[in-house]
Amino acid sequence: MAKLAIVLAIPLALLATVASLGVMVVDVRESGPDGHHIVVPVPLVLAQTALAVAPTFAHEKDLRIHDAEALRHLPLARQVLQALAEAPDGELVRVEEREEQVVITKQGRSLHVQVHGGHGEDVDVNVPLQLALQALPDAEGNIRTTALAAALGGVRFTDLVKVHDGNEQVHVYVW
Amino acid sequence: MRKSVVVGGLGLALLAAAFAAAQTTNTAWLHVRVDEAQKASKVRVNLPMTVIDAVLKATPELIEEHGKVNLGDHHGMKLADCRRAWKQLMAAGDAEFVTVESEDENVRVQRKGDLVIVYADHKGHPARPAKAEAEAGKAETAAKDKGPGEVRVEVPVSLVDALLSGEGEEVNLQAALAEVQKRRGDIVRVHDTDADVRIWIDEQNSPGPSTR
Repeated sequence: MAKLAIVLAIPLALLATVASLGVMVVDVRESGPDGHHIVVPVPLVLAQTALAVAPTFAHEKDLRIHDAEALRHLPLARQVLQALAEAPDGELVRVEEREEQVVITKQGRSLHVQVHGGHGEDVDVNVPLQLALQALPDAEGNIRTTALAAALGGVRFTDLVKVHDGNEQVHVYVW
Repeated sequence: MRKSVVVGGLGLALLAAAFAAAQTTNTAWLHVRVDEAQKASKVRVNLPMTVIDAVLKATPELIEEHGKVNLGDHHGMKLADCRRAWKQLMAAGDAEFVTVESEDENVRVQRKGDLVIVYADHKGHPARPAKAEAEAGKAETAAKDKGPGEVRVEVPVSLVDALLSGEGEEVNLQAALAEVQKRRGDIVRVHDTDADVRIWIDEQNSPGPSTR
């Protein structure tokens, strides 16, 4: 009996450890009686480890932005993201047309983009500003994988993407 | 002793709340509102001035490059002449500066308080006989298609002052931007038959109800 408890406790403890470190879940639901429901949980620690070791395995040029035009605008992008992160919450953009509505709001440490289409499609995207800042390459164009890996830990309990187009629902969240 | 600790704590909490409230209300926001009734389209942009500041600071070359726009005398009047005329007009106080009446449109420019208001009403063209229509040149077609309409633009006097504060034949965009940043209230209002545009700055993070 004790042996069984130990055997069961090990995977449970592992599962609890992985869950406590965070899991990114991709949940896809198709409508209709034959619709599939696919759930792909990816432990955050796995993504973080992959990002952290990426510079060891990947070629240096693969982790660098080479486009001079993009590099020229990086400081501006960084300044804007930083200013937005420090700015008070509020609705930044609202575009309403007959069949479409787009709303971008700043809520806490995220930008929230909502698109409502005329054919019943809804898209909700949350962009954690800290993650976006860390995702920006440095002045030389190097992608800072270690910083990105660290920032992933800060987006727990966040709905990143929700898409509903009438036939299909996609939900990506970090738990 | 306990009473003074409670009172002190309460005071500190009130101070912190007041500071937090001041932080949220003192942030200036630039608002842009565009309403197009025919297209049932509404656009609202609300940006904290801190973000605009950050953009301007991150792109000093933008101001350096475009901060002073050289107008030259392409429009038949040198900017130095405009500057002199503007000074004299300002000294005259509230008045109607320009009135142009033509077959196609009427234009009026006047100062009212701290605003310069430009009214333009385009009369459009009534239907003409086929022969006259054929004789009309291609250049006229665009104007004819526009139809009747009216435009009303309101610009603060201080903004024009800032624009004209440069030297020689250059408008001072940098001074205009600085003026915009300290201003609270309307910067530009355009009322047209197709669209209403309003750009203003206040300390609210979402636009209030229309005042028009």
